Amino acid sequence: MKLTQEFTKGFIKENPVFVMALGLCPTLAVTTSVENAIGMGLAATFVLLFSNIFISLIKKIIPDKIRIPSYIVVIASFVTIVDMVMNAYFPAIHKNLGLFIPLIVVNCIILGRAEAFANKNTVIRSIVDGLGMGLGFTLALIVIGGIREILGVGQFLGHNVLPVSYKPVIVAILAPGAFLVMGVLMGLMNMKKTK
Amino acid sequence: MKYFLKLGLILLIISVVASGILAYINSITKPLIEENERREKEEARMDVLPEAVTFDSLTVFNKETVYTAKDDSGNIVGYTFIACKYGYSSNVKTMVGLKPDLSINNVKIISQSETPGLGANCIKPEFQAEFADKTENELKVDKDGGDIISLTGATITTRTIANSIKEGLNELKNIILTEEEVTE
Repeated sequence: MKLTQEFTKGFIKENPVFVMALGLCPTLAVTTSVENAIGMGLAATFVLLFSNIFISLIKKIIPDKIRIPSYIVVIASFVTIVDMVMNAYFPAIHKNLGLFIPLIVVNCIILGRAEAFANKNTVIRSIVDGLGMGLGFTLALIVIGGIREILGVGQFLGHNVLPVSYKPVIVAILAPGAFLVMGVLMGLMNMKKTK
Repeated sequence: MKYFLKLGLILLIISVVASGILAYINSITKPLIEENERREKEEARMDVLPEAVTFDSLTVFNKETVYTAKDDSGNIVGYTFIACKYGYSSNVKTMVGLKPDLSINNVKIISQSETPGLGANCIKPEFQAEFADKTENELKVDKDGGDIISLTGATITTRTIANSIKEGLNELKNIILTEEEVTE
């Protein structure tokens, strides 16, 4: 596969959320607003990029039988380092993203890409894959978050976009709204694919 | 058997290396993080009691220091404490600035992760202004017959903040009053 294809596959064809259904727990939890979606998406992309690099570098050293626990140790350590460094040197960013960083440990996209891609491919390809998948994840979060924020509070990125007379459908930003919006979007993606 | 021992050993080495790196980075970043938190609280204290120049620690409440605030000629201009209570989905921490007569000067929500778009609106200045000039007995939300207008769809968050401040006041007023007698 060409490098450009490797990069763009995460956006639609192999979108982590809508097609592979990876990382659904954080997807459902943080898509209450576009701002949150961007924060979670970028933090996950960052960690995914570096964990992919790490895993592809050490893939030869780790025996096959204990690869999963090893990956988890690597990913968890990396997330903790990012959390601590960001908190110490960039407190302003940490205040906005800090909430999402511990959630990334349990985001199965990271482990999923380590297992499905980074341990079989070169460092360069793993970087491209990590970036593409991470941005695809971010894109999916922004789409879901955008729909929920517009329906639920009549805003987009905190700015009013609907007339004042619009009465917000509060359920859209509560938990059920996440399932409904994601389900409908997944359905639409499948409909397009089977056509 | 030997093979499995080897696997365990490799995993052990990976874990030891990882924890070593983590311990090292923690030792570097910890003082910086504490410094950041301290500065943030200091800023919040200045926000809720802008007239104050110095803050002297008075007692400890909720594991956080309660301060007596003084202006530059040493007169007491108020007190600050941190109220904390579990709201709808998170602990809501509020920095409270009190006037010398123990009514509220101003409050500032310093940490929360309530529902975005609903409870999280408690960080808006318009909402925090609701609490200004309230006394202990006036800390009641509109649903309970008080004056504090609750956030749309987030009565629980509003009530939590009001109650946490009320509890703090209740606990601290005796300490503050006796302290005043001693100093006078």
